[in-house]
Amino acid sequence: MMDDTIKDFEAAIVELAAIVKKLEDGDLALEASLALYERGVQLQRFCHERLEAAERRIDILNERGELVPAASVLTDIGQDEDH
Amino acid sequence: MTHSGLPFDDPEPLAPAPVRRVLSVGELTATLRTLVESEFHEVWVEGELSGARVWNTGHLYFTLKDAQAQLKGVMFRSSLRLLKFTPEDGARVVARGRLSVYDPRGEYQLVCEHMEPRGLGALQLAYEQLRKRLAAEGLFDQARKRPLPSLPRRIGIVTSRDGAALRDIIRVLRRRYPNAHLVIAPTRVQGEGSAAEIARALRLICTVAGVDVVIAGRGGGSIEDLWAFNEEIVARAIASCPVPVISAVGHESDVTIADFVADLRAPTPSAAAEIVVGRKDEFVGQIDALHGRARAALRNAMQQRLTRLHYVAGRPAFAGLPGRLAFRQRHVMELAASLRASATSALTARRRRLDTLARALDGHRPQERLARVRASLVALRGRLDTVIRLRQHGAQTRAREAAARLHALSPLAVLGRGYAVCWNDERTALVRRADRLAPGDRVRVTLGQGEIACDVREVYADGRAQGDA
Repeated sequence: MMDDTIKDFEAAIVELAAIVKKLEDGDLALEASLALYERGVQLQRFCHERLEAAERRIDILNERGELVPAASVLTDIGQDEDH
Repeated sequence: MTHSGLPFDDPEPLAPAPVRRVLSVGELTATLRTLVESEFHEVWVEGELSGARVWNTGHLYFTLKDAQAQLKGVMFRSSLRLLKFTPEDGARVVARGRLSVYDPRGEYQLVCEHMEPRGLGALQLAYEQLRKRLAAEGLFDQARKRPLPSLPRRIGIVTSRDGAALRDIIRVLRRRYPNAHLVIAPTRVQGEGSAAEIARALRLICTVAGVDVVIAGRGGGSIEDLWAFNEEIVARAIASCPVPVISAVGHESDVTIADFVADLRAPTPSAAAEIVVGRKDEFVGQIDALHGRARAALRNAMQQRLTRLHYVAGRPAFAGLPGRLAFRQRHVMELAASLRASATSALTARRRRLDTLARALDGHRPQERLARVRASLVALRGRLDTVIRLRQHGAQTRAREAAARLHALSPLAVLGRGYAVCWNDERTALVRRADRLAPGDRVRVTLGQGEIACDVREVYADGRAQGDA
């Protein structure tokens, strides 16, 4: 029974690499190959989602421990380098 | 500036002007230099070295400091060569030389001819002591170093809000990983009390949800400027931070105490930003490459099996396949038989219970109820038979399907599904379009089993004949 939970990005990459290795050098039953492949697709999707998920944001942690959005003088840095 | 210096403002232009000796800046500076050089042609001075740097001319430039003042100095290459030690920041030295004025900048400086160390400077000493103590506690142990997350959720940054370090970090992160989420804990990074502020910022930023790595640092500066990162309170805050900390104090030659404690030392703030997160496009490339390999491996595995199957199917001993089918059929029949047997025994049990019931009822002669029970018994038997038939049918269907799936892998399998292949008469090419034929042509048709030669009667180039359902 395959565990279909994914801990985090790291774990997903590690597992994906392991699956690829198994598929590449394992003499597996076709069903097992298919199951592994499906898991691989699931992991790949998860990684892509994680890569897109982070928000483009800069927050300032103030004296009271609250997060406030940073002024544009900081958020604009590097904007001109975007293409 | 006053207006009196201008001739047209002079109320009495004919009055004799006061005798004024106006010097150029150059003249004044030259005079001062003569004065200083004759007065201080040989002095001994003691202080702590700071900002000591050998330029590519080979000359050493430095500042001598004590609690009250500082003095700029230079030691030319020829004198520097004779020194037995390397003048380093923080070293307490006695320097011998002459004072001079550097005209282009209007600065006076010590032209040092000789230098002797006077034990360690106070800061240097404090640094060494703290380093030894914390090392003995195991705070610098390699085993304490934690791995950085490869994809941080939120990146914490502890530095000055106005420093170049923050700008550098943001610029690099924006380039590498545009949708990174940064949390900045602004703090002073030099001056009295800055160490406590840095420590507080470190403790605070670790509590922000999602922050899983922290960069703490500042741009380069003198050893005094960097001093906060050499203080114990900062070292302790880094050590007790629950997430990995990257130290980024922009001074490549000096290693601060913070650098020793941190999970990773970056030589500059920009380098810290480079380290903290991989390039997004590299991540994407890596994941897609892995996925591509998985797909290729799977395709490969399928291809291998197909090849093997075709090989087996193509051999004269193809009889293996029907043999296995027959085996399956027998298995199905056995299954059906045992199913029927169990159904019958269930039926027998029910009949026995019914008989018991009937005997119990007999005394009361409830004819109608007995008849009803008998009727339900008949219905029950009917249902059981249906179940048996259905199960048997299901098993046979599955066996047939399995055989068909195996068969479908053969290139000729489609013919078995009722398709036919139409050839020209010479059997050299397939006929794919009706309009390539004319009535009277001969074609050959390969069927699932056997082949036939046909004469074309009519050609319907656009589809079926009219009225053909």
